[in-house]
Amino acid sequence: MRILGCLLVLIISVATLSFKLAGRAAYVDAYYQNISEIRQKQSELLELLQQTDFQNTTQRTHFISSLHQLRLKLKAQDFWFRYLEPNAYRKLNGPLPVEWETEVFEKYEPPYRREGAGLSLIEMALEDPHVSKEYISENIYSSFGSLDVFAADSVVQRMRDPSAFYFANRLFLLNLAAIYTTGFECPDSARIVPELRQMMLDVEKLYRQYEQSPGAYLLNPAYWAQYRSALTFLSGQSDAYALFDHFTWIRDHVNPLFRINQQMIREHGVFSRSWMDYTLNDSCGSIFDKRLFSGQQYKGLYGMVEDVATLNEIRSIGKLLFYDPILSVNNQRSCSSCHRPDMYFTDSTVRTALQLDGINRLPRNTNSLVNVVFNHLLMSDGLHTELLQQGKGVIGNPMEMGGRESEVLTKILSCPDYRKAFQKWMRYTPEEKNVTMDHIVSALSIYYSSFSYASAPFDDAMHHRSSIPESAVKGFNLFMGKAQCATCHFVPLFNGIKPPYLSSEFEVVGVPEDTFYLRLSADEGRYKVHPVAEMMHAFRTGTVRNSSYTAPYMHNGVFSSLHQVMDFYNKGGAQGRGLSLPNQTLSSDPLALTSEEIEHLLAFLKTLDESIPKESPPDALPRSGDPSLNSRKIGGAY
Amino acid sequence: LKALNRYIAPLLILISLLPCCNSQRRSAYQFPEHFAPEIKSHYIERAEKGRALYKAYCSDCHGIFTKGKDGVPNFTTTQIDNYQAAALLGIDPRNHAVARKLNQLQVDHIMIFLRFRSKDDK
Repeated sequence: MRILGCLLVLIISVATLSFKLAGRAAYVDAYYQNISEIRQKQSELLELLQQTDFQNTTQRTHFISSLHQLRLKLKAQDFWFRYLEPNAYRKLNGPLPVEWETEVFEKYEPPYRREGAGLSLIEMALEDPHVSKEYISENIYSSFGSLDVFAADSVVQRMRDPSAFYFANRLFLLNLAAIYTTGFECPDSARIVPELRQMMLDVEKLYRQYEQSPGAYLLNPAYWAQYRSALTFLSGQSDAYALFDHFTWIRDHVNPLFRINQQMIREHGVFSRSWMDYTLNDSCGSIFDKRLFSGQQYKGLYGMVEDVATLNEIRSIGKLLFYDPILSVNNQRSCSSCHRPDMYFTDSTVRTALQLDGINRLPRNTNSLVNVVFNHLLMSDGLHTELLQQGKGVIGNPMEMGGRESEVLTKILSCPDYRKAFQKWMRYTPEEKNVTMDHIVSALSIYYSSFSYASAPFDDAMHHRSSIPESAVKGFNLFMGKAQCATCHFVPLFNGIKPPYLSSEFEVVGVPEDTFYLRLSADEGRYKVHPVAEMMHAFRTGTVRNSSYTAPYMHNGVFSSLHQVMDFYNKGGAQGRGLSLPNQTLSSDPLALTSEEIEHLLAFLKTLDESIPKESPPDALPRSGDPSLNSRKIGGAY
Repeated sequence: LKALNRYIAPLLILISLLPCCNSQRRSAYQFPEHFAPEIKSHYIERAEKGRALYKAYCSDCHGIFTKGKDGVPNFTTTQIDNYQAAALLGIDPRNHAVARKLNQLQVDHIMIFLRFRSKDDK
C-alpha cells in the first residue's frame, strides 16, 4: 500500500512536471487571441459598410475611425505578422495593389506578382466619396483570407521556437527606423504618431508575455531600460506628425535598441533558419554600419579567399584592369573612362557617357559604383542579378566596350603580369581548368567594391561620434516626414532596399526628357527587362548617398543640380506637371516644401557624402607580349 | 589453341569490356530525352565544374562516410531541391556557411551536377 502511494505521488509529480515543461506559451496564446479579435473587428467593419452612406460626412468619419481601430489591432501583431509571412501581410495592409518582386533567393525566377489589399488601400480609396462599396468589401474579404494564413499551424510552429522572437524583434526595430515613422503604410499622417505610440505599448505587452513563457530567453535589463526610455520619448512627442523628431528617435532610441538586440542574439546563441534573416549580419552593432546586410557577393569566383594578403593582391590586379583599355575592342576605353575613380566612380562632367564610337551618347547616365554592392538587382532596369554578369555585360556591350569575350581574354593573358597572377590564383577555383573572363571580372569587382564601406558624417552623428548642423537635422526630419523621400529611399542606405533587405524596388516617378517638361523620357526602364504594365518607365531606386558628387541625376542625367531634383519631386513628378503617366507610383500631389525646407533637405544630403579613399591612376599598365598593345593609355583615350 | 587461350581470350574479354567503360563514361549524367546535344554538352561542362566544387567544398561532410571514393551521396530530388534552397538561402547557417561564400554561378554548377548525375556514377 505504501509502495503504491509512493508510486502515485511519483506519477502525479512527474505528470505535473511534464505539464509544466510543456506549459503553454503566453505569447502564442495572445497571438491567437489577437487574430480572433482582428477577425471579429473585420466582420463588424463589413456590417458597418452595409449601413454606411459615404456621401454623409458623419457616417463616413465614423467608418474611417472604425478602420483606424482595426489597424491598431493589426499593428499590435505587426511584430509577428511581418516576420512570419510578409506576403500574406500585404493583403492585410499593403501599400500598393500590385507589386513585382524578385527577392534575393528568387534570382533564377521571373519576378513575382504580389497583390496587395487591406486597410491602407481602403483608406486611400475613401478619399473619393463615390467609392464603390464592392471595392471596399473585396479588400476586407482578402484580408480575411490572409488571417487564416497567420493562424495556420505551420506558421505558428515557427514562432513557438523561442529564438524566433529575437529575429522578429530585430525586424521590428529595423522597421521602427525605416518604415513605421514614414507613413509608408499609413496614408493619414495624423495617425502616424498615435499608431506608433500604441504599437510600442502593445509590443511591450508582447515582450512580457514572451518572458513569461517556458523556454524564453529573457531580455536583459539594459534593453528594458532603453525600451522604457523610448516609450517616454514617444509620450513626450506631439501627435502632430510635422513636429516628430525622427533624428533623435532613431539615434537615441531605435539604434541603441537594435545594438542591444544584436548583442542578445549573440549572447543567447540563438540562430535563425528563416529566409527573412538571409542578408542580415548578427555581429553588426548598428543600423548605420555598412556591414548590416549584404547585397552582392562581390568576390565572384574568389569567394573562398579569406587571406587578406591574397585579397590585396587580387585587388591591385583588379585596379590595373580597371584602368586598362585592353578590355575594350579598340584598346581605347577602360572601366575608368566612364566610372572615374576620382569622381566617386561616375562621370559628373557629362549627362550620359560617350558610346564606343566616340560620337554618340549612351541613353543612360553612368551609375556610381560606390555602394553598388548593397543592391540585389543591378543597372537602372535591374537587368543583372550579379556583379559578374554586370561586368561581363558592359565589356561585351557593343555600345560600351564592345569586346568579344575570347579576344579580350587572349589580350589580357598576353601580358605576363596578368597571366602569372591569375594562374597563381587558379588553386582557389578548382572548378575551372583555365583562366576565364569570370576570373577577370571577379578581380575587377573585388577592386571597386572596396570603396563601398566608407561612412558619412550622418552615420557618425548617428553613433554620437560627431554632430551635424542643425539644418541637416531638420532636413533629415523632412526627408523622413513631409517630403516623403524615405517612403522609397529607406534607412540606412537611402536606396530602394527596405528591411529585411531582400529585394530592390523600382519606382515610376516620371522623369522628363528635358527640363522644360514637354514630354516624358522615352526610356521604358524596367519594362525592357520585365514587360508588364506596372513596370513601364520604372527605374530602380538608387541611393542618395554621395549625391553632391554624383551629378547629373536621374536615369538620363536630365537634372544637373539637386535643386532641380527637389523641384521635380516638390511638384509631384510627371503627373504633377500635367504629363500623362497612369502608373506613376510617386504621389502627384505637390509636397509644398518651402525654399527654406529645401535648403534643409540639401544640408541633410550633404551629410551623406562619404569620405571614400582618394584614388590615383596606376603608374603603368602591364606590358603585353604583343607590341601593338603596348601603346595603350592608362585609363583609356576617351 | 594455347596461343588462342593466351592472347585471344584476354583480348576478347577486353573487347567485350570496352563498351562497358564506354557506357559508364556516357552514363555519368542522365538528361531528359528532349535535351538537344548542344544543351547536353553545355550542361555536362557545368556539371563537371560542379563536380570539382563538390569535391572541394562539400564532400568533407556529404560523402566521407559513404563507401564510394568520391562519396557523393545519392540525394533524392526533394533533397536536391532542399539543398538548392539551403544553398541560396543559407537556411542552416551553422552548417552551410560555405555555401554563402560561393557565388550564384558556382552554386548553380553544384546543383546541375547533383541533379543530372546518374545514380550509379561514383
